[in-house]
Formats: sequence, C-alpha cells, structure tokens
Amino acid sequence: MSTQKERERIELLQGTLDLLILRTLLLGPAHGHAIAKAIEMRSEDVLQVEQGSLYPALHRLIKRGWISVQEGTSENNRRAKFYRLTARGRRQLTVETGKWEKLAGAIARILLPAEQEGES
Amino acid sequence: MNLWSRFFRRQRMMDSLDQDIRDFIERETQDNIARGMAPDKAHYAALRKFGSVTRVKEDTREVWTFGWLEQLWRDIRFGLRALVKSPGFTVVAVLTLSLGIGVNSTIFSVVSTMLLRKPPFPDPDRLMMLCSRNAAAGAGPEESHDPVSPPDFQDWRAQATAYSGIAAATSFENDSKVTLSGGSEPERVPNGEVSANYFDVLGVSPVLGRSFLPEEDQPGRDRVALLRADLWNRRFGSDPHVLGRTVKVNGETYTVVGVMPDTFRQLWMFPEQLWIPLTFTPAQLGPAARSQRSLSVYGRLKPVVTEAQARSELDTIARRIAATNPATNKDWGVSVLTVQQYAIQESNAGTALAFLLAAVGFVLLIACANLANLLLARNANRQREFAIRVALGAGRLRVACQLLAECLLLGLLGGGLGLLFAAWGLHLLRGAFDWNEWSILISEQLSLDRNVLLFTIAVSAATALLFGLAPAFQISRRDPNAGLKESSRSATVGRERHRLQNLLVAGQLALSLVLLVGAGLFVENFIEEMHARPGMNPHHVLTASVALAGAAYKTPARQAEFFESVLRNLEKSSEVESAAVTNNLPYTFPGRAKFLIEGQAPPPAGDQDWRLTFAGYFAVSPDYFRVTQIPVREGREFSRADDANSAPVVIVNEAFARKFFSNQNPLGHHLRLTPDGAPAEAGTTPPPWREIVGVAGDVDEYVGQTNWRPHVFVPFLQHPEGSMDLVVRLKIEPNAFAASLRQAVWSVDRDQPVTNLRTMDRVVRDSGQGDDIMAELMGAFAAIALVMAGVGIYGLIAYLVGRRTHEVGVRKALGARSREVLWLVLYGSMRMVMAGVGLGLLVSLALPRLVLAGFHEVHMNHSNWILAGMPLVVILVALVACYFPARRASRVEPMAALRFE
Repeated sequence: MSTQKERERIELLQGTLDLLILRTLLLGPAHGHAIAKAIEMRSEDVLQVEQGSLYPALHRLIKRGWISVQEGTSENNRRAKFYRLTARGRRQLTVETGKWEKLAGAIARILLPAEQEGES
Repeated sequence: MNLWSRFFRRQRMMDSLDQDIRDFIERETQDNIARGMAPDKAHYAALRKFGSVTRVKEDTREVWTFGWLEQLWRDIRFGLRALVKSPGFTVVAVLTLSLGIGVNSTIFSVVSTMLLRKPPFPDPDRLMMLCSRNAAAGAGPEESHDPVSPPDFQDWRAQATAYSGIAAATSFENDSKVTLSGGSEPERVPNGEVSANYFDVLGVSPVLGRSFLPEEDQPGRDRVALLRADLWNRRFGSDPHVLGRTVKVNGETYTVVGVMPDTFRQLWMFPEQLWIPLTFTPAQLGPAARSQRSLSVYGRLKPVVTEAQARSELDTIARRIAATNPATNKDWGVSVLTVQQYAIQESNAGTALAFLLAAVGFVLLIACANLANLLLARNANRQREFAIRVALGAGRLRVACQLLAECLLLGLLGGGLGLLFAAWGLHLLRGAFDWNEWSILISEQLSLDRNVLLFTIAVSAATALLFGLAPAFQISRRDPNAGLKESSRSATVGRERHRLQNLLVAGQLALSLVLLVGAGLFVENFIEEMHARPGMNPHHVLTASVALAGAAYKTPARQAEFFESVLRNLEKSSEVESAAVTNNLPYTFPGRAKFLIEGQAPPPAGDQDWRLTFAGYFAVSPDYFRVTQIPVREGREFSRADDANSAPVVIVNEAFARKFFSNQNPLGHHLRLTPDGAPAEAGTTPPPWREIVGVAGDVDEYVGQTNWRPHVFVPFLQHPEGSMDLVVRLKIEPNAFAASLRQAVWSVDRDQPVTNLRTMDRVVRDSGQGDDIMAELMGAFAAIALVMAGVGIYGLIAYLVGRRTHEVGVRKALGARSREVLWLVLYGSMRMVMAGVGLGLLVSLALPRLVLAGFHEVHMNHSNWILAGMPLVVILVALVACYFPARRASRVEPMAALRFE
C-alpha cells in the first residue's frame, strides 16, 4: 500500500531517474539490466534505487517518445529488449541536463557560503 | 500520441512486460552467481533488489492509463458484474426506479408540450400577440388578453411603427368551423379568416402553390382558400393538382391556391385547417364595431425594436383611440406578449401541472428512499468485501467511487425502463385528453420529445447520485478494521446505519401521507362536483350538432322547417322517448343575450359585470324540458303553438328570477332580448317585448360551477338558428342510436354534416375540463406512493429482523414467548411509523389551503375527514407491512437461531 510519503519520494526520483536513463543511453542502446548496472557503477553505488522502478521510468520515456525499444540479441546470445535514444530524446537530454546543472549550482551556492561561515 | 495508438501500444508493451521482468531478474541472478553467491541465494537477492514485482507491474500499467476515463470504465464493468450477481436486488431496484422515473417523464412531457414548446415559426421570440386588455379586469395573472376589434386593428396597423408586419385572424376563441362539401361527405373543419400578410408575418411558407396576395383580402377578390397539409392529405389525397380546384365552403365556392405545412399543429392555438381571406363589411369598420372584439392580432417586431418599446408605442396608440372613442374603448388598453407567453397563460394549466409535478416528485423521492435502503442493506452484507479491498490497498475514495458507478448504472437502467413506462403512460393519457377540441389538440402533440429525453437522463443521474451518496459516504468513512471484525452476532451492529434507514422510511411515510391527502382532496372535489347539482337528468340522452350550410337555408323559416322535419323523423322511431333541438347544450357555455326588463332601470352604461346585463341564451323546441327533465317550477313549458305567428314568450330560470324578481312572481312580466349582445343598429326596430310564461330549474354551465347564472329560453320557432344541437331521450342505450340519428338528419338533407355525437353523460363529464383526469392521476400517484412506502417498510423490517435473528434466538431460549417477540418487533417499528405519519400530517395541514388558492371553485367540504382518515390508512398499511416479518421473527426456533451466523 503506497502511502503519501512513499509516493512523494518516488515522484522526486522520477525526474532524476529519467535523466539518468537518458544519459546512460547516450553511449549507445542497452537492455534494461545493463542500464541498471551502468547507473549503479557510474554512481559508485551511491544511488541505490529499487531496480524495479526502472520499468515504469522506461515506459514513461517510451510514451513521451524520448526512447524507442527494439528486439535484439544480448552479449550472451539471449533475446532482450534494447532501448535506444531518439532524436527528441537527445534534445531533451540536453535540456534536462542544463536544468539539473542550474539546480545543482543554485543549491551549491546556497550551501557553500554557510560552510565558509561555519569555518571561519 | 492519440488515444487509439496509445491503447494498442499499451497492449503490446504490457504483453511482454512479464517476460522482460523475468529476463531482468535472471540476469541479476547470473551476476550474483558470478559474484560468488549460491544459486538460490543469488535468486533471492535479485528478487529483493528488484522490489515488488506486482507493484512494478501496476506502476508501469499506470503510465499508460487514460486516467479517470479508464477508471470509470473499469468501475462500470465491475458494477455490472456485481449487479448481475445479485439479480433479485437488481430487479427490484430497477423496477422501483423505473416506476418513479417513468411517472416523472410522463408528466414532464405534458409540461413540455403545454408550456415549453416553442411556436413552430422562425424567430418565435420576435413574434408578438397584440391583445386588448381590459383595465377593469385587474392585472397580473388575472390580466385579460382579449381579442381585438376590426377598427382597432386597422388603426394599430396604420399607426404602429415597431413592426415589420401586422396581421389579424379570426380569434380561435370563436371556435369557428365551416362545412366543406362538394364531392365526398360533407365535413366540418376549423377555419380561420386571415389577413393577406398573415403567413408573411408568421414566417410560414407554403408547401404547394402560394399564400394570399395583398389584394385578396378585399371583398370580391376573396374567393381563394388555403388548405393545411393534413386536410390536403385526408380529403384530397395529397393530389398535386389540387391547385385551381374549387371547394364549397358553407355553400360558397372558393378556389384552392396553396397548401400550408403541417407544422402549425404544434401549437394548440392554431387549430385551423382551412384559411380564407379576412374581409370586413363597412359596418364592421364603423365606430360602433369597436366593441366587437373578435380578432387575434400578430405582429413581428422589427430587428432593432425591443418588446418594451413596442409595448409603450401601442399603449400610446390605444390611449389615443380610447380618448376619441370613450363609449367603446374607455378602460381598454393593450397587452403585448410573445406568442409562446400567450399560449402558456391562456392554457390555464399551470396550477394543475404544478400539483402533478409535485406529486410525481414525491413518488420519485419515495423510490429513491427505497433504493437507498436497499443499498444500505446490501452494503451491510458486503462489509467484509469492502474491508478486504481497503486493506489490500484500494483507497476508500476508490471504493466509494466504484459504488457510485454501480448506482449510476442502476440509474441508467431505471431511466431506460422508465422511458418505456412513460411511453405507455403517454398512450393512456392521450386517450384521456378528450374533453374538448383543445385537449384533443394537446393529446395529439404529447410525445417523448427531446426535452423529455434530456429530462429523463438528468433525473436518472440525479436520482442515482441521491440514493448512492449516503451508502457511498458511509463506506468511505468506516474504519476497515471494524468491518473485518464485525459479525452478525453482535446486537449493536450497525447502529448508525439503522438510524439512517429508519429515518428514510419515516420520510417515505411522511411523503406518501402528504400525497394521499392531496389526492383525497382532488378526488373529493371531483366526486362532489359530479353529484352536486344535477338540475337535469343526463342519462339515456344522445346529442349531436348540425350546422346548416348551403344557400337553401339562409332564411330562418327554412332553418326552422329543416329542424322540424328532423324532429318529426326522430319521433317516429320507437326507440325515441322524446326529441328536441336547442342552440346550446346544457353543461356547455351558452351564447349570451343582452336583456332589458320592463319596469326595471337598465344597468348603467359601461358596466363591466356582464352578469347584470347578459343572460345565457337558449333557443329550444317545445319538448326540450321533457327531454332534459329540467323541472319547470312555475307557469308552463313551450308548445307547438308558440311559433312565429304567436305572441313572443320567454321562460327564465330560477337564478334569473331570484336575481331580478326577488320578491315577486316573474310570470306576466316582460323583457326584451338582444342575442349576441350586438348593439342595436340605428334605424332598425328594437326586438319585441316577450312575456315571461314559465320559470325553469337551474342547470350549470359546467361541472363544478359554484355560482348561479341567469338563463333565458325562447321558443326556437320564434327565433330559429342555423346551427343547433339535437337532444334525444332514448329508451335504449344511447350510443346504439347514433346511426339512426344520422339517418334522421340525412333523410331530410343528405348534404348536412352531423357532428359531435356524444351522450349527455359524456357532455357533463367533458365539461369538467379534465377534473376527472386530475383526480384519477393524483389518486394513481398516491396509490403508487403508498405501495412503494409499504414495500419499503416491509423490506426494512424484514432486513432488521433478519439481522437480529441471533438475538431473538437468545431471547426465546431465555423464555420469551412468541407473542412477546411479535410485540417487540412491532413496537420498535411503530415508533418510526408514528414519527413519519406525524411529520406528514403536519405538512398536510397546509394542503387544503394550497389547493383552494390554486384552483377556482373547489368543493372541499370534507377536508377534515380526509385529514383525519388518511393517516389511519397509512398506519394500517405500515402495520400490515410490519406484521409479516414480525410474525416470522416470533416463529424463530431458538436452537436454529443460535446456530445462525
């Protein structure tokens, strides 16, 4: 049963998870499991997200037309669904990255002076 | 991405999701094994890392939903399944609802036909009726909208600038008919004489040929006629070559020049099937003729003019006319209103419809209460189901929404079936609306039109929400834990719900009591009306109308001869006891004659109380009093000796004698009569002085009349007319004589139409103007309401008793006797019943006053008995309804009950 708090947490992560997936796919098409592993590795295990939440995110991105899906064969010759970035997705990635950087910068600016004050 | 592609896409994506997730977990497992875990541990670790598969699937599915639309669709499907699973409940619920909605739709369609229909003309709100208004008659609802006299019409047309066209027609109030003959059987059709621009003003174009040319409303050019499409169908077989054919109208030849569309029939004010041009004689345009108000005048407003401007302009013109013609136009103003407003106001149906609407509204409320109770009971049984669903994650709001969807389904089903009921009800009503031409017109137009359909849908939805809200609200408030723990062993189960149900039933009882009292008042009124003052014996009498047409009957002598021949024919028949003619039937509104009593001062000029100057005028043959069995209390009846060559005589009725000869014997006095109240034209001889030779009993002009009206009778031989009614007293069943009656007329002249064959009983009933229908309808609704309320009580008590079976078992095991249990249940229910009846009684106390205020001349002598008696009826029905479940409870076997879960 999802309570209000859990729902909020998920919503917060929806946007960022989408961004991470898009970024991962920038390097080339991948299947679901590979994307999950890539995110884990790149973040050096800081980001521990329920792997299952990958799927709603992937479907959301498909619905919006930012990624597309295709049947293909994986490295050990097994059938898998491969997701790839579309042109729109590529554009969207740039936009979202820009927004994220602005947000991170703003938060950093607010946090950093406090640290300096704390130190001195 | 549009809806369709999203839908199909979703199917595809969701289909493979299962497989995709399995693959994912498989890979993760492989990775874990590669990291060194044991295979089964690797699998569990992968599963844990993945999270709840079910949740993932749900969340993914939610990405593709259409939101609330899909939710609604799912709710509806679920609701449908739930309804199908409990057929008993569904059937009862739908039947109850459909009955309630059906009666509402029926009455609403009457309202729609009589009050809401827009006239079938282009731009109907710019088409105005211009009426004369008598300032002395009062304002507001009493305001008069009287016809207009020809000279006034000419002046208005010449002087008013607010209209793009003004036209006149002979007023439908004149109820005029003409005889169409030549060719097939002669028939009487309603006709209208209209200005040449009449159809232009109304905005109606012919379907064949043309309408009138501007010069055709001058005498000499006016022998042209227009047919209405249904007359053209009926009499001329829709012949496209009908143009140029001639027809005989009242014996005169007219040429058909066009056919007008049928749409006229939609408004009851336009009964005409034939139109000829309206011409005026010089006398009709003279100054004296300003008091002959006989025209309906229509004007189409110019685009830039407002109603208010038009009204004030016409006011000014009217005042100017009144100033220059005080004798005829003093105190006469104008009223300007749209054709639709006029139709509503003059139809006099508003109050009756209001009562009927209230009655069916009550029935619907009672049905809703029944449904709410049914739902509450049903939901009580589904407590566990709801609790489990809430525990599994459905929001309480979701469950409530799903319940509401079920209710909406019920509402729609009930509405659909209700429409069927309404169609049947309309069929019945159409048969009943037959007391005069106007009501027949209305009955033809009663139908389930668009207004009614919209109304039904709205009512169904509103009803569903109404009865669904309470249970749904309850569901959404309850703590699911309590639902899971609840079992029927507890005696204090669902207290709150029971209180609500009791309240609903008390409300139902109150409503049905109010409805019963109302119906009782109407029924009482009708019964008293019918038996009030017979004055005559209407049984075994057949009546018919004959309006002589043709050049042969222009003179009074010929007219008298014709009817004498018919009477002689009739008297030859062995089935006839006696026969007579009269120019007006009893229990119909007679024409009026102005009178002057010798030796008494004439009433002051301009006196508006027509009762002092006009008497009902009857021209009758000698046997009239024998046929009608109206007693002649003093003096004598007419005889064959009273004819054109003997002294003029007159008989007056008791009301006349009381009013004008209060302490004298009227016999031997003289009075002078002017039929039709037409002003004496200068230079002609005044009418003769007639001697009063008899005083007859009073007969009402309509059923339910409470005052007395003066009538005078003259021998028809001394004052023959061309249009008379035959009255025949028969030894056999009157309807069986119809063919012979026609034959008696046709053997004198084959070309004269015999119309309006009715028994006198029927004439009396028709004069009630639908009072009988009102009483029947109100009675039917009250009965339905009472039955519904009774069923509601029965259902509730049965259900409550069922819930308490365990408790009853305990009581009986502890020594209670059957009788005590019976009383226990009955006593508990009677409290609620008395509350409802008390409330209903309080409200009903206001009813007699309401009915009196709304209707003229209501007979209400026994309203106290009704107020006292109806509550007893309701209590009795409630007792009976409670008795059976109570008896069942008292017969419970203790051991079986204790085992009952």
